[in-house]
Amino acid sequence: MASHPVTAIIAKDLRLFLRDRFYAFITVLGLGFYVLVFWLLPATADPSIPIGLHLPGGEALLAEALEDEADQGIEVVVFTSSQELEAAVLAGDEVVAGLDFPPEFLAATASGTPTSARVLLTGEAPTVLSDALSAVVAELALAIAGQQPPVTFPEVEELVLGVDRADQVLSWREQLRPLLLLIVLLVEMFALASLVATEISQRTITAILATPARVRDVLAAKTLLGTALAFSQAVVLAAVTATLTRQVVLLLVVLLLGAVLVTGFGLVAGSLGQDFIAIVFWSMVLFVPLVVPAFAMLFPGTPALWIRVLPTYGLAETLVRVTGYGEGWTQVWPELALLSAWCVAASLLGAVVLGRRVVLV
Amino acid sequence: MAWGGCGVQTEVMNPAGDLALRASDLRYAYGDRVAVDGVSFELAPGEVLGLLGPNGAGKSTTIKMLIGLLPPQAGSIEVLGMAMTEHRSAIQARLGVVFEEKNLYPTLSGRENLAFFARLFARRDVDLDALLERVGLATRGRDRVSGYSKGMRQRLTVARALLNRPDVLVLDEPTDGLDPVSARSIRGLIREEAERGVAVLLTTHDMYEADGLSDRVAFIDEGRILALDTPEQLKLRHGQRTVRVRRRVDGQVEESVVTLDDDAGDRLRELVAAEGLLTIHTEEATLEDVFVAFAGRRLE
Repeated sequence: MASHPVTAIIAKDLRLFLRDRFYAFITVLGLGFYVLVFWLLPATADPSIPIGLHLPGGEALLAEALEDEADQGIEVVVFTSSQELEAAVLAGDEVVAGLDFPPEFLAATASGTPTSARVLLTGEAPTVLSDALSAVVAELALAIAGQQPPVTFPEVEELVLGVDRADQVLSWREQLRPLLLLIVLLVEMFALASLVATEISQRTITAILATPARVRDVLAAKTLLGTALAFSQAVVLAAVTATLTRQVVLLLVVLLLGAVLVTGFGLVAGSLGQDFIAIVFWSMVLFVPLVVPAFAMLFPGTPALWIRVLPTYGLAETLVRVTGYGEGWTQVWPELALLSAWCVAASLLGAVVLGRRVVLV
Repeated sequence: MAWGGCGVQTEVMNPAGDLALRASDLRYAYGDRVAVDGVSFELAPGEVLGLLGPNGAGKSTTIKMLIGLLPPQAGSIEVLGMAMTEHRSAIQARLGVVFEEKNLYPTLSGRENLAFFARLFARRDVDLDALLERVGLATRGRDRVSGYSKGMRQRLTVARALLNRPDVLVLDEPTDGLDPVSARSIRGLIREEAERGVAVLLTTHDMYEADGLSDRVAFIDEGRILALDTPEQLKLRHGQRTVRVRRRVDGQVEESVVTLDDDAGDRLRELVAAEGLLTIHTEEATLEDVFVAFAGRRLE
């Protein structure tokens, strides 16, 4: 008979959740919106940087240079006039920067006569791009003149520390996948917080506890329902976005851990907030740091230490590595262990805070 | 009166014999503020005990301890022969509670609210429709509680308290703020339950309600029980009974008030025998008067 109160509270809470038009609306609309955003994003990655180039009379030389630069991730687009090049750089659609050489550039460079070239950039272009293009101009001049500086270049060995993903650039769709999954989970944190806070503020919790139901039954019911709601929605999103095509068991485990994690924080937010405004406040206080790791995944490189200690880092990192790079249990177990530890901590925190709040009503 | 699952009136089962509830020397303090300070009383099956006191007197804290929501810091509670510390769940299964606040789920219907609590009590055999009819909500049972009036909500909380066919009913200000019709309806339900043998503990600051409903009344103030007896005895012992006599004397109406003490007979005979007698009114003390005599302040 011990399961009676738990199942009764779950059934009641599920009914309350489904009857709340606001949460039903944001749940359905949110899922639809995330799916739409996902499928609208580009599915392929193009890591090359398009550079515009105007070099009168140097087309043959350019053709040779283009092959070399393509390997370096630079795509060269040739323009027949300075005006066209300037317009293209300004528009920013076709090229992000341009190199404009005067008509006498080839002859002047070959004869050793001083000449000039223009690097065309928009205001938003990083300075590193300007430096790189200036270097290209110098290299081009050396190639035309046939002269080399009086130094012997040392051999340079390129050593990538950690996982080398230089040739594994993810598409926008792949990069945003963990972010969307995390947002779906976190929205459920908000919904659960609201259910908990309403139970406390309307004092229905005292009516429950005046029956044979115990505080542990309430905690178990809220935790199970919160986890189930968050997990089921994350699985639906994962299925619709074709995420569950490989490492299915591993991904389901990750999403389940994520659901447990946000449920723990949902209990905390619900215990602290007593009305809608307070719930929104506390949910946002928790939402912002929890969503940061997913944003950090959008940028290359190892995230800063403060991001790596956030509770959802293990979740976001595991999702990226499994869905984006096809890694498995053996590669991601440290992140899974970290996520599991955070799940235990969040669940304990939620249970303690809600337990105390319930007793004080 | 029949409302159980089989449509048969049930009798209260009380293995403990004559006592439904015993509170012994209960104490509770919120930090430095003492809310309940040595409260003791007993409640028999079928008896209605009114706990009468002003706001902040310690009634609600006492109730919380009696229904198992708050463990006493000292003292003991025994319900139906079971100690609260050891048999809280078993006791709560046989308690019916009406809270001061109307703590219902507004987006659920009245019937759904009752069905949820019936599941908590593991009572799937309850005839919810009969229960709703009993509290006058048969036609509104499938409506959401958010559309209920205050009186309807309170009647639904009474129905919820009766779901598990309790042996002990604890009602915290059950008619507070209700219209006279709803209040009368709830008082009727309380009387019916008492007649069925249910022990009823009722807190109120309405002296007329306490007087009309209670077999015994306990005055509580500053966490202590000041007096506990039948309303009649309390008024007889601690209140003043008076006779108010009006006469016309020399064209003017003159009023005399005689306190009914040992010397009252001669004085009354004099007044009644005198000419110009207009009216004679007897006046009893109210529970409010008695409370003032004990506490030195009014009930508000």
